[in-house]
Amino acid sequence: MKLLVITQSRNRAGRVVQVRKEINADWIRVGRAAASEVLLADPRIALSQGLIVDRDGPVYTEGEMGNLTSTTKKAVRSMRLAPGASVDVGPYKLTAIDTPEGYSGAITVELVRPPDNVAPEFLARASRLSLKSLGLPKRWVALGLFALVAVVFFMLPAGRVLDLPWKAEAGPTMTSDRFWNPGPVMLAHQPIELKCEACHEVAFQQVRDAACLECHQKIGHHVGQDLKPAALFGGMRCAECHRDHKGVKSTHRDDDRFCVDCHRDVRGRANGAQSQNVTDFQKDHPAFRLSIPQDKGFKRVRMGSGPVEEASNLVFPHAVHLDPQGVRHPDKDKVKLDCAACHQPDSSQRSFQPVSMGKHCLECHRLEFEPAVTKRQVPHGAPSDAITVVQEFYANLALNGVKDSFEKAFGVPGEGLLRRVGQPSEPQRQAALALAGKKAAQVSEELFEIRVCRTCHAVLKQDGADGKPEWTVAKIRANNTWMPHARFDHKSHAQAKCADCHDVAKSKRSADVAMPTLESCRECHAGSKPSETKVTSNCLLCHGFHEQQHPWDPAFKPKGKTRVAKGAAGDR
Amino acid sequence: MRHQSILEYARFRWLKGALLLSIASAAVYLWHDPPLKPYGGTWLGYTLGTIGALLILWLLWFGVRKRRYFARFATAQGWLSAHVYLGTALLVVATLHTGFELGWNVHTLAYILMVSVIVSGFYGVYIYMTVPGLMTANRGEDTLDGMILKIADLDKEIREKALSLPDQILKTVNQSLDGTRLGGSVGRILSGRGDACPTARAVRDLPEIGKRLSGDVAKLNHEVYTLLLQKNEILQRARRDLRFKARLDLWLYFHVPLSIALLASLTVHVISVFLYW
Repeated sequence: MKLLVITQSRNRAGRVVQVRKEINADWIRVGRAAASEVLLADPRIALSQGLIVDRDGPVYTEGEMGNLTSTTKKAVRSMRLAPGASVDVGPYKLTAIDTPEGYSGAITVELVRPPDNVAPEFLARASRLSLKSLGLPKRWVALGLFALVAVVFFMLPAGRVLDLPWKAEAGPTMTSDRFWNPGPVMLAHQPIELKCEACHEVAFQQVRDAACLECHQKIGHHVGQDLKPAALFGGMRCAECHRDHKGVKSTHRDDDRFCVDCHRDVRGRANGAQSQNVTDFQKDHPAFRLSIPQDKGFKRVRMGSGPVEEASNLVFPHAVHLDPQGVRHPDKDKVKLDCAACHQPDSSQRSFQPVSMGKHCLECHRLEFEPAVTKRQVPHGAPSDAITVVQEFYANLALNGVKDSFEKAFGVPGEGLLRRVGQPSEPQRQAALALAGKKAAQVSEELFEIRVCRTCHAVLKQDGADGKPEWTVAKIRANNTWMPHARFDHKSHAQAKCADCHDVAKSKRSADVAMPTLESCRECHAGSKPSETKVTSNCLLCHGFHEQQHPWDPAFKPKGKTRVAKGAAGDR
Repeated sequence: MRHQSILEYARFRWLKGALLLSIASAAVYLWHDPPLKPYGGTWLGYTLGTIGALLILWLLWFGVRKRRYFARFATAQGWLSAHVYLGTALLVVATLHTGFELGWNVHTLAYILMVSVIVSGFYGVYIYMTVPGLMTANRGEDTLDGMILKIADLDKEIREKALSLPDQILKTVNQSLDGTRLGGSVGRILSGRGDACPTARAVRDLPEIGKRLSGDVAKLNHEVYTLLLQKNEILQRARRDLRFKARLDLWLYFHVPLSIALLASLTVHVISVFLYW
């Protein structure tokens, strides 16, 4: 079929303009689709509005929506395009005209109802169709939120630290820099938690050591002055290990790496260091060093190379005192002693009070010098005091003693001089004095060298200035703190028996040192990695950085497998 | 040619990239054993924070790129695909950066704003995946302008034909012609319903009134009724189209302002962290 299509329109001047097109096809598509042979480019036209087919001449066909009883039966409209016939296709009018030579048919297409010729009222009422056209705010909301955040959370709080005009009002109020606080500070710092300037003094500067030292004035250095701690730790800040705002418990984690970073090669870090290298308690902790007191100061002796001895100047056999059969007691028959009889915990319960003669020994080791006559004891102190007491006693006895006491004490019959003679003569007085003096000298010698003092002390006898003997007792240097650079808490170990670590049952000499070795600690304590049968022990369990009494965080849980145990508190 | 959505753009290139970034960040985070605890101030925290901040700035830049219609480097669709996937990866990166240290402060405000932006973005992706298909199904081969023109066209025809009808019918019809509204307020657009629409009322009432007519008037009434039916059907489709379009737009009224607020709080976060270093 060869169809001539003339598109007709009026230009602005009002003149009719025609565009001719020749279409050679059996099926001619009429519609809005771009592929349509007869393109009707108006929104009111369907994409494929209709077809022009050849049935002995052009026929225009359109499908219609079905009748009322069935929507599937579509009625089809068709119209023969004989010359003179016209059909309204939406706002277009198709008019068939006389068929020119060589063509099957010819039609004109004209837009009779342009879009601006329709009801303007509805178009006016359909004007605001999108959220944007309704003026819903996006840009101003965004800028407003930006300004709000910038002012409330920065400009106002920054008043203090950046010295802005509203600095004075800044404080713990709605607009203070509390919004910049990233987390709770540790418990002891809570009084200054809202006083940011206490630590953050200068803008854009990290917290200085001086800020910490304002309160922590007496914090100890890690090493003594001889190792020049300022140079050794120069460049390191407190804040490198202590980070606040991490919760109320602590400002650092009890992690071995804090220590091991230096102590794996401690002599490489500090020339004067005396410690050996260490990385983990389980793996390579060196043997303990015991601090033994010397005449001046201490000596640190490493255990393991032979027995360690203490020169305490004391005579004391533990074996005798801990005899399972018991020891003789002045009043009771036999008393069985245990460790606690002499070693009592101090107020902190971490260690023990020094053993004292008066408290722990005197009950059995009486210092009576004339038990037949009196219960008096010599004072446990300077030798001269003891000698004086003895002399005065016998002098009094010689002058005032009753017959019974006199005879028991001096061994000769008689009684006190003043009892016999009202006013003694000089030779009588001298005789009494000589008797008393001789007895006192004898008893003193007995006390110091034979009976009493010598039992426990090292006694030295010298000739005094006046020819009389003088005794000196060597000063007792019994050590009470064997490892001052570590913290050991006896209370935590109260479930163990003393003898588990201190093997003194067979010790005959006071010079024996019964401190436990590293191996005995390792029976229960593992290193910093969790062990299934032992206590996980990191450096800070026993050692401190700033001082020995460094608090230990029992809540520290190192990474790795932790054995789950059922206990009274449930699964842990 | 099958439609390639932004989610499958370039054979899921950006999904792979985002997955790589997320998994790498998570792996390093798990391996890292900081001396104290993981938080924004460890070396890894600083790294993740920098990556996150740069990501946020680049994601914000999409708002600018979206309107640069002549930009040559990469297509807008590619940009959007990257924007969606890398925005999702940002959730992982930023969360790891926090070390899960959250509190009532401006730092967590920035984090919350970021999460809100990303979640609203998820909603936006859902909208973009579902609504356009519904829009096309609703419109058929029409456009919105076309539907409005058709309604106006029908209005003209109805007006001409109804003039010869009895007064009562004419009044009902005129109410439809004069009172039908499309859009005009946020509530009406979003609900998609035409409450008390005079056209719907006319469609309801005309058969009732027209029962009493006969002859030519009845036929004319039937024609007017048919036209009103067509108008009503197109109106409903147009209203549904407006509602779909509004849903396509509405989520951006949250996504964009929140992201600008995020920009502000991110800046405050970074400055205040180094202010009180």
